Amino acid sequence: MTEKEQLNILEDWLGQYKGLIFKIVRAYAAADHDDLFQEIIIQIWHSIPAFRQESSATTWLYRISLNTAIKWTRRERKHYQAETLENVQHILEENRIQPDERLVWLYEEIHKLDEIDRSITLLLLEGFSYKEMAVILGITESNVGVKINRIKKQLIAKSKNYEHHGIR
Amino acid sequence: MEFDELQQIWDTQNNKPLFAINERALHNRILSKMRKARHITNTSELLLIIVNLGVGCFILGVNLYKQHSSMFLYGMAAWMFATFLYSLVSRIRRIKGDRRFDRSMHGDLNHAISVATYQVRLSQAMRWNILPIGILSLLSIWESGKSVWIGGAILILFALAFYGGLWENNIYKARKRELETLKEKLETKD
Repeated sequence: MTEKEQLNILEDWLGQYKGLIFKIVRAYAAADHDDLFQEIIIQIWHSIPAFRQESSATTWLYRISLNTAIKWTRRERKHYQAETLENVQHILEENRIQPDERLVWLYEEIHKLDEIDRSITLLLLEGFSYKEMAVILGITESNVGVKINRIKKQLIAKSKNYEHHGIR
Repeated sequence: MEFDELQQIWDTQNNKPLFAINERALHNRILSKMRKARHITNTSELLLIIVNLGVGCFILGVNLYKQHSSMFLYGMAAWMFATFLYSLVSRIRRIKGDRRFDRSMHGDLNHAISVATYQVRLSQAMRWNILPIGILSLLSIWESGKSVWIGGAILILFALAFYGGLWENNIYKARKRELETLKEKLETKD
C-alpha cells in the first residue's frame, strides 16, 4: 500500500467517523483534546495496512482509538504539560453549540471511571453487542457481561442522584 | 434515569459534532509526529548494536597494531562483539514477536507488557554488562602501568554508570507493573 492510498483511506475514515473519535477524545482527555486526537489519528494511520476488513471499520477504529486513549491517559498522568509551545496551533476547535447539560454530566461521570471501565461504557453507549465488545476488548463475553452489569448499576444510581438532587 | 435514557442522552450528540477539525494544522502535526515516532526501544537497541560493534572493532584494531598487545583488551573486544550479537539477535526476536498479538485491547496490553519485559531484561543485561567491561578496562590499565588516579577515575565512572543503570531499570519495571495492573483489571471478573 502506498502512502498516498493510506492517506486517502485516513481522510475517508476521518470524514465518516470523526464523531466516534471525538467522543473518545472527550471521554479520555479532560483538557488536552488536541494531543489525544493527534495520537489517535497517527495510530489509525499506522494501522491502515493491517486492516483486513474482517471486522467493520467502526469496530477497527474503536479498537485502535480506545487502546491509544488508554495508553495516552497513563502517559499523560506522568508527563502532564510536557508539550508547551508546540500546541499553539490548535487542531480541534470546540463547536459553540449550547451543550446539553445532561450530556455534560454523563461525560463527567464517564471521566470518573478508570480507563478500562471508561472504554466499556463508551462501547455500551454506542450500542455494541457483547460479542463485538468481547472482540474489541479481547476478553470473554461473560466477563464483558459482568462488567457491564456493574457499570450500568453504578451509572443508573448516579443518574438518580443527579435527577433528584442535582448531585454531581 | 434508566439506562435507555442515558443512551438517548448519549445519542443527542450524533447530529452535533463536538469539535471542528483544523485540517491544515492536523496535517502539519501528523507529519511532525511521524518524524518523531522513533521508539525509545528502537533507538537504544540500535545504539547498543552500533556502539558495541564500533568500539569492539576499534579496540581490536588498536590492539592488533600495538607493539605489546594486551590480552585484556582482546578479551574486552571479544566481550563487545558478544554483546553486539546478543543485542542484534534480541532485536530480531523482538520484531518477529511483535506480530504475535491481536488488535484487541487485551492483545495490545499483552504486546505492551511484552515490550516492557524486553526493556527490563535488556536494561538489566546492559547494567551487568558494565561489570566485565569495567574489570577488563581496569586490568588493561594496570597492565599498561598507568597512574592509579586514571584507574580510580575510570572506576568511579563505571560505578556511576552501574548506578544509573539501576535507576533506568527501575523506571522500566514500574512501567511494566502498571501495565500488568491494567491487564489484571481487564481480566478480573468483578
